[in-house]
Formats: sequence, structure tokens, C-alpha cells
Amino acid sequence: MGGVDVGPSNGKRQTNMEINMIPFIDLLMVTIMFLLITAVWVSYSRMNANAQIPGPPDPTKEIDPQTPEKVLNVHVTDNEFKLVWKQGATVVSETTAERPKATGTELRYEELAKKIADEWKQQSSHQDKADKKQDQAILHVDNRLPFKEVIAVLDAIYDCKREMTIENETKAFPVFNMSFSVR
Amino acid sequence: MSGGGRISIFKKHHHHDPHAHSVHKPGRRLMHGVPLHFVHKRVAGGGGRNVNAALNLVAFIDFLIVTVIFLLMSFSASGEVTVDKNITLPRADNVSDVIEAPMVAVNGNQVLVDGSPAGSTRAIEDLGRMQKVDELFDLLKRKRELWKSFHPNKPFPGVCILQVDENVSSLVVKSVFQTAAYAGYPNVSFMVRKRGKTAN
Repeated sequence: MGGVDVGPSNGKRQTNMEINMIPFIDLLMVTIMFLLITAVWVSYSRMNANAQIPGPPDPTKEIDPQTPEKVLNVHVTDNEFKLVWKQGATVVSETTAERPKATGTELRYEELAKKIADEWKQQSSHQDKADKKQDQAILHVDNRLPFKEVIAVLDAIYDCKREMTIENETKAFPVFNMSFSVR
Repeated sequence: MSGGGRISIFKKHHHHDPHAHSVHKPGRRLMHGVPLHFVHKRVAGGGGRNVNAALNLVAFIDFLIVTVIFLLMSFSASGEVTVDKNITLPRADNVSDVIEAPMVAVNGNQVLVDGSPAGSTRAIEDLGRMQKVDELFDLLKRKRELWKSFHPNKPFPGVCILQVDENVSSLVVKSVFQTAAYAGYPNVSFMVRKRGKTAN
């Protein structure tokens, strides 16, 4: 077992100390067993969306007419993604991105993510760190589209991030908040 | 260290047994002819080894400590989130941590709220258009009212998490999403599996 050697004993009192390591090893083994049993090997995460349902009108507040904000509409068609910035009913800009055919199990739309980031830099009015408001993205998808493709598009939309200062702490947040188009 | 003991080993061995030249006691033979006693003891291997073998435990303890540190660093106190076994969650990169909220599971056959049945996926698909799922609406509304009765002075967060199978159609997802929003949960999150950095 483990010991501390401090030289010869000279026949008087034994100066070599021996530490019993067995309880220490037992403790380590029990700790490992506990941590292995309670370990979570699969980690799940979440992606935010917002239904954008207006609440009931507040009678105490005066209605202040505001100009509608620009909203990014992402249309998923068979061959391409159509990115349309709208301000109310007015179309501000329109562009497209190629939709690659889904191959394998992993879906990623990298070109779409780049296009969305470029569009956001050109069109968004919420680019300052102190501005806590996110831009709104509305997803238009066909009813038959599998959910994994919806998530791949959502992942591309949330790929574009900007720094935001909240309570003196600066963190990177997605620039868009997503909602579904409901017809 | 008496001289007699040393001299005796140089004496010639006489065998009185007539059969001694042909039958010998089994044992080591090599190097037995070395006359010096202390050399003979070393080289003939008859010195006797210590039966207690010392095992070096330092490397073993080091390994255990490294394992404990690794497991402690990867330990999560938030607990395991249960996912319906019939659901394969899609993968994504840009995600945030799971929070405590009602779980709505949507697999190929049914909709469940925290394990309780709350509608049929097939019925939504058969209808072919978006609809409010009444059972889901009632269950979520009841959960919201229960939360409000427990926390009367707090604003309701309105967050629920959807665990949707990756092959479920958008029609079902949109119907569930809208129903949850109408039931007072406008902040809907989709549960996904976080993709590794090296994954393609």
C-alpha cells in the first residue's frame, strides 16, 4: 500500500508511515459507479418558435398606430427557397436559394443559411447590440412536407446570430424568431 | 561466519546407497556443482522467492481519479428528459437547452400530453386540412389553469415543448402548434437532438 519513506529508522521508533489505500480506492469506485449509473448519454435540446397570437386589447392603453415592421417570408417549394421581405402587404425584396435534394439522413441547408444572413444584413433594422428585438420570420411550407425538413429550414434560419446585451451581459442570439404561416 | 561451515561444502560427497547413482530425487540440477555456498544459492535458484507480490497501485489510482473527474464534468443535475420510444427526433445545430414545460409528443399514430393520449395523428391527416385538436386543447387548458392556481401571482410563461417524429407531416405539426397556441401556449419549442460538431 501507499507509504511515506522518511529514511532509516535507526532502531528507535518506526518513522516510515504506511497509508491504507483500500478505503480511498473503494470511495473512488463507488463514485464512478454512481456517476455511470446516473449519467445521461443522449442530450436533447429545443428550438424556439412563436405563434404570434395577439392578446386581448388593453382598454387602459391608447392605440398607437405604428408602421408595420419588415418580415422575412420563407417559402419552401419543390426546387427552391423563396425569401421575400414584406412590410405589411408591400414586397420590399425578393430572392431565391437553391433547394438541394435530400440525401442521406442528415439534412442541412447551408446555402439557405448564407442567403438568409446576407438578406438580414441588408434589410434588418434590428442590428444594434442594445436592440433586444428580434426580426420575424414566417415559414410557408406545404402540408405534406416531413417535419425533419421543417427543422432543417428552421436550423438554417437560426444559423444567423447577432450579439445582444441583456443585463450587462453580451451573448449571441438568433436574429429571427420563427412562426408558421397558417392558411 | 565460522570456517567449519565453509569447508564442509568442499568435501567430496559419498553415496552409501547402492542405487543412488541411478535414482535421484527430483529437483533442480543446473549449476549444482558450484562449490561456493553463497554463489550456489544465487545461481541454482534455490534461494526461495518472496511469495508476496507487490502491485503498483499508483497508475490504477490515477486512472480512477481521471475517470471520476471526467464523469463529474459531464454530470447533469437537470435529469433525463423522457422521449416516446416511437419518436425519432430530427437533428439540428442551432439549439438551446431544454426547460421545464408540458411535453406534447406527436408520433405517427397519436398525440400525447405528458404521456396521456390527446388526439389522433391519423385523423388530422385524413381530414387533409388544419384543425384544432379538441382533446389536446382541453388537456393543455387544464394544465394552464392548474399552473395558475398554484402560482396566482406569477405571469404564465406559455411555453410547451413538442416532441415530433421526424417523418410526421407539416399538416399535423401546424395543427398541434396552432392548438397549443389557442390553449394559451404561444411559445412553442421543438425538441431536437443536438448534432455533434463533426457530424455531416
